[in-house]
Amino acid sequence: MSKKILLITSVIFLSSCAATNIQELGDKFLDLINPSDAPAEVADLSEQVLVLSDESGGFTEEELETLSNDELIALAKEKGLEDKLVLDADGNLQNRDEIIKALVESEALSESLKEGVTEELESLSNDALIEIAQAKGIEDKIILDEDGNLQNRDELIEALVEGAAETELAVAELEKIGGSFVLYFAYDDTEIDEAATRVIIEHANFMQNNPSVRLRLEGHADERGTREYNLALGENRALSVKEVLGLYNLEDRVVVVSYGEEQPIEIEHNEEAWEKNRRVEFVYY
Amino acid sequence: MKFLKALILFSVLLSLSANALLEVNIIKSKEELFPVVIAPFEIIGDAHQGADIANIIRDNLNRSGQFNALSTNELVTNQIDFNFWQEHKKDAVVFGKIEQVSSKVFNIYIYIYDVFSEKSLYAKKIAVHNSGIRRIAHYLSDKIYYVLLGQKGSFDTRLSYVTVSESKQGNRTYRLQISDSDGYNPQTVVKSAHPILSPSWSSDQNKLAYVSFKNNRSEVFVIYPFLKIKPIKLPKFDGIASSPSWHPSGESIALTISKKGNKDIYLYNLKTKELKRLTTNIAIDTEANFSPDGKSIAFTSNRTGQVQIYIKNLETGKINRATFKGTYNAKPVFSPDGKELALIHRVGKDYRLALLNIATRDLTVLTQNKSDESPYFSPNGGMIIFATNQDNKGILSIISLHNNQIVELTQKDGVVREPSWSNYSN
Repeated sequence: MSKKILLITSVIFLSSCAATNIQELGDKFLDLINPSDAPAEVADLSEQVLVLSDESGGFTEEELETLSNDELIALAKEKGLEDKLVLDADGNLQNRDEIIKALVESEALSESLKEGVTEELESLSNDALIEIAQAKGIEDKIILDEDGNLQNRDELIEALVEGAAETELAVAELEKIGGSFVLYFAYDDTEIDEAATRVIIEHANFMQNNPSVRLRLEGHADERGTREYNLALGENRALSVKEVLGLYNLEDRVVVVSYGEEQPIEIEHNEEAWEKNRRVEFVYY
Repeated sequence: MKFLKALILFSVLLSLSANALLEVNIIKSKEELFPVVIAPFEIIGDAHQGADIANIIRDNLNRSGQFNALSTNELVTNQIDFNFWQEHKKDAVVFGKIEQVSSKVFNIYIYIYDVFSEKSLYAKKIAVHNSGIRRIAHYLSDKIYYVLLGQKGSFDTRLSYVTVSESKQGNRTYRLQISDSDGYNPQTVVKSAHPILSPSWSSDQNKLAYVSFKNNRSEVFVIYPFLKIKPIKLPKFDGIASSPSWHPSGESIALTISKKGNKDIYLYNLKTKELKRLTTNIAIDTEANFSPDGKSIAFTSNRTGQVQIYIKNLETGKINRATFKGTYNAKPVFSPDGKELALIHRVGKDYRLALLNIATRDLTVLTQNKSDESPYFSPNGGMIIFATNQDNKGILSIISLHNNQIVELTQKDGVVREPSWSNYSN
């Protein structure tokens, strides 16, 4: 394992040698070897990422009315609504009503999100639900009878919905701060360049800060060449991203799928379209 | 091998009837065609269903690239005016009649005459149920092909292919379909919101293997499209499982599996459920195809850094590289005689259908298209069906290896691709 890490880090190290000075290179290499140190060029996300501490499912409008301005400010920050806050020079809240409204809406958003996820999960078979629950590390919530049949389908779906909604809100935060969820590749190539490495490190930080989220890497190819070869190529692209995440000991939380050339973003048949279609997508669940 | 530009191009829209989802368009070559007259069959009694027979036969023969089959206004009976047909440069005359025996049963008579020797080459009477009219027309087409050329035809066979349609909301629907060899009688055997690819017929025609993403990953499924038998469930493999190819025995199936990320070709025995690894290289090995004798597989690999085709002898275990021309050769399929491979070969920026002579390593590019895919031989080896793009739309194309005549099969609304040609009907 350690040999593999060194090999990969060396490759990344070498591929990043082009435009940086020796000091930066040294730092970068150290960062890659000790990935627990947040890399200098990547924002530390731990403070910005939403942690849903409120297990009860949030406040109603009436409850929000009873909170003090400072409590509302804290709550708005927690929910990622900082940009909506209007404060005077002394830090006093100027738009209490709007903030309460925004908080209610963000609650409603997560409710509608839950509805969507519930619908999706309802359509799955018991076996598929069990598989997801295992992947999400909530095996203890699965109750089976002697024949291995699921006994508590509804509760399991509820538990999964909670987890899924949490993931989607966390991902929404990552989106908001400009996180990138797609990496692009050269023709018939699986190489991860320096810019791509930075994006992957950003995701590694995100996953470490959100221990419940799991990641599906979806590999894609452009339409050129044969379908089955492209299916294999798409998987190799996703695997090379997973390999970097493996440096952060995240491989157990990462699954890889390939869609080959079957799900293009752009349906045109030209270089611009092909560039967008040769990609790996980060999908959290 | 003559090239496409040598063809005289003119289009004939052959079939647009309600039950033909695929439209057929022939880009015809006038080279080396066998001139034959297929006269309209004489209808005796209430047997109008039979009026189509001569048309179906004519269309079949014209699609093969071997014949120039025409109709005639002359009534042709056993008193044949051979001088007339000699003057009109026809080499053979086919005629027949269909008579009603009961409400659902007909007798069909068919006669084939050689115009120059003025001799009968074939005469036959067949009883047929009225639901089997098209089928009998294909059967008779194969007979005519054999009688006049001394080779088997590929008419009484089936195609499978995948269609993709998109709703106004942008939702795609994928359909795995099977049809007669002329695109008629299309039937949907699998419908899905997820991609379907690589359908492949077992040699006994009973089973169809294909790849589906219905569980959000590529998996191989085996169904019995004509029998009420449950689909065969393959074990669940980690990573991708794809690219099924039948062993000629129909008992086992080669497929690509990516255990621990390494894509190799495995042989899965449907009876013993045994899984045997056929390739072990760390590179991508995929797109396996069995030789007709089942003793070797051709496959695609990027083991040298380039995408090339290799052949593994399953008895000796030896792997030989098969393609040496160009930087991209993929998706090999054996010709029915095992001597050639149809494959996809990159020329500049284009991916074109090509034919490789395995022994001499001669590679002949067959089209001037931009993106050919998924070649498959007709069971007599006379034609190759493949997918290509035309005006940004996926269509199927059938090329005659006799004179490079092209037949296009298109879907009015949507895309058609991933063709595969069945063996002969039993």
